[in-house]
Amino acid sequence: MLQLPSLETLNMGAALPAISIAAWACILLLIDLWIPKDRKILTVYLAAGNLVFAFIANLLVFNQSGDSFMGMYVADQFSGVMNLIIIGTALLSIVLSFDYLKRVGIERGEYYVLVLFVTAGAMFMAAANDLILIFVALELLSIPLYVLSAFRAPDIRSEEAGMKYFLLGAFASAFLVFGGAMVYGATGTTNLNEIAASAGMIIASNSSTSLFLLLGAALLLVGLGFKVAAVPFHEWTPDVYEGAPTPVTAFMSVAAKLGGFGSLLRILVVGMSAVTMTAGEPAVWQNVVAILAGLTMIVGNIVALSQANIKRMLAYSSIANAGYILMAVAAAGSPGLANEATRGALVYMLAYMFTNMGAFAVVIAVERANGGADLEHFVGLGKARPMLAIMMVVFMMSLTGIPLTGGFIGKALVFATTLNAGLVWLAIIGVLTSVVSAYYYVRVIVNMFLRDAEASTEEATPGYSTGVQWVAAVALGGTVLLGVLPTLITVLTDRVSLVASITP
Amino acid sequence: MLEITPNTIAFLVFALLSVGGALGVVVSTNLIHGALFLIVSLFGGAGLFVLLAAPFMAAVQILVYIGAIAILIIFAVMLTRSMTSLSEIFNRQWWISAIVAVVMLGLLLVGAILPVWGPSGTNAMLPVSDAVGTTVDLGIALVDGNQFVLPFEVASLLLTAAMIGAIVIARDNE
Amino acid sequence: MTAVNEWAFIGIFLAVAWVLPAAPLLVSWIFRPRRANAIKMQTYECGVETVGDTWVQFKVQYYIYGLIFLVFDVELVLLFPWALAYNQLDFFAFGAGLLFIFLLADALVYAWRKNALEWA
Repeated sequence: MLQLPSLETLNMGAALPAISIAAWACILLLIDLWIPKDRKILTVYLAAGNLVFAFIANLLVFNQSGDSFMGMYVADQFSGVMNLIIIGTALLSIVLSFDYLKRVGIERGEYYVLVLFVTAGAMFMAAANDLILIFVALELLSIPLYVLSAFRAPDIRSEEAGMKYFLLGAFASAFLVFGGAMVYGATGTTNLNEIAASAGMIIASNSSTSLFLLLGAALLLVGLGFKVAAVPFHEWTPDVYEGAPTPVTAFMSVAAKLGGFGSLLRILVVGMSAVTMTAGEPAVWQNVVAILAGLTMIVGNIVALSQANIKRMLAYSSIANAGYILMAVAAAGSPGLANEATRGALVYMLAYMFTNMGAFAVVIAVERANGGADLEHFVGLGKARPMLAIMMVVFMMSLTGIPLTGGFIGKALVFATTLNAGLVWLAIIGVLTSVVSAYYYVRVIVNMFLRDAEASTEEATPGYSTGVQWVAAVALGGTVLLGVLPTLITVLTDRVSLVASITP
Repeated sequence: MLEITPNTIAFLVFALLSVGGALGVVVSTNLIHGALFLIVSLFGGAGLFVLLAAPFMAAVQILVYIGAIAILIIFAVMLTRSMTSLSEIFNRQWWISAIVAVVMLGLLLVGAILPVWGPSGTNAMLPVSDAVGTTVDLGIALVDGNQFVLPFEVASLLLTAAMIGAIVIARDNE
Repeated sequence: MTAVNEWAFIGIFLAVAWVLPAAPLLVSWIFRPRRANAIKMQTYECGVETVGDTWVQFKVQYYIYGLIFLVFDVELVLLFPWALAYNQLDFFAFGAGLLFIFLLADALVYAWRKNALEWA
């Protein structure tokens, strides 16, 4: 009766990056209890060291694609690239956080533990091949994020952010669970490959079970659409982004999106791409996702025009960016395009990660120097702190999608795959809204360089601290490098193939 | 037409507890009484789970919903001042809730009576206890390396994170 | 039917549990003299008379206690099937449950060290 654990058949090594982060988060929680309050920097090092370890481990297992836990967790090149981006986000935001936390007096070790939990959750989401694991991982991603949003607790805006995020997030999770239950009811399995195997048959049979399946897929889309802040499930985003501590905003604007899109791509491409009315046609969800993408781009970009607070503006910008990524997801619904679209989405997410972390690093620096993140606080930055301003220019240009920045490469790939999928109207909306977005991104640049501050603020506070400086520099490097030498990432993403893992 | 068996009697009792408790929750002006009625309603639900041959769900209902969540709600009521005597039952959004409730009831009735989800009664002849797994099967599935061991452990992580969150948010005085 | 019959015992138990405390109350209600006065109507209480309202505002710390209880309650629910299936588990499955308990202990140590378990 006594069987030794069959670790080889479980292939746990493939899941090592995610497991190591989750395990270390639990250990760090205990270690931190005995780290004195004035030496919390040790916790930062321990958390960052773990992330670096996971990053390297992820590179080592990058080519060893395989299922872990019997098809529960899929360690393929898709999750490999996703993990690189997710770990990068976590690393940058930890570096971004530590002196911010010290400055506002919320320096507590739990912060880093919670960041590690979110990271592990996002990695599990990107690799999950089972609806149950997707749900549990989504919660592992979300619950620490609710707490992190409210981390500056006596601050009323931070509390409001945490509360709003929590209530709406719980609501969205309920949609996801209900959708998962319906898909299970229709197909009798929670495994995405098995769902894919039976989905086509169910739709073809045109019985009432197909209604179940479609309704379930729609509810799953609602639940994940909330996480990635797609219109019309975006209402929480501006308030939460504005109220949460700025490094948390930077972190969650990227990490939650990565996890959400990771699962969304897996559910739709791996599990549901066979859901077509007639074989060879695009999947039935393509139009729904395309409409969501169009709405998201339009609403995100138009509302961003009227924002005076840069954090709010970046919140709407993150909604708009979700729209561009959704465009790639929609394109993945066309037969034969799934892999190309997935690669485009991955490059876009990497570019967005660098650009967004950089932009938020500049926002933190400005908040610290000028006491706020309104557009007014950026006036005259070009003169007062030229380095910071020039960095911001690059990030804004990348968000607009101007050539020689990472944002351009991402957008170019996404637009190309959208056109290949025949969604011309969607690509046109994408281009038009990009033009609109230029207005509010350039407005930041104009305010920094072309307007002079009426009364220059005292120079006593240094613009940015070491951590923020490092993050801004790395993000700048990443953004530019990706723009000039896109092959550096495409050499990795070209090996990504989600659909090959489908059993025909 | 309707055969009176112990099962139908039990069903009627539990359904009455469940619906009556729910009614008590909405009409009582004392929130504590409302919470106690909620316990009655949840108990009725637990009984219905037993009749559906889902004893584990019944245990969850009793342990988590009655044992913890209802208690938490009572705590929450006691944390607030003057919530024990509400002057009025309706607030300004009562009509929205009414519409939602009526629509939900309508949908459920339609779903239960009309064969929207396939012909009803295909599995009705089968004893439910034969169609569903037992709690032991669930226990094996949760920790079996071939099945759900990963979500099981991740759920544990999740609960740890939730606990940290509760303590971080509520005890900020250190 | 067989599955439900096991539950009949619980039903009988519940019924008896209601009857046992109700019977003395009923008997005393039938036989007690009904001559009320102010002192008799007082709540039975040792020591001094109660002062103020029973509905007092609780301290927020109690709520944390409740929340921690809820977390452990959910963990218990997940462990319950594992315990039921205990005799049929292989070594790996046993370890999986052990890991679950270990993570639970991790959270407990944290709560303990943060003084979240103090009832005050």
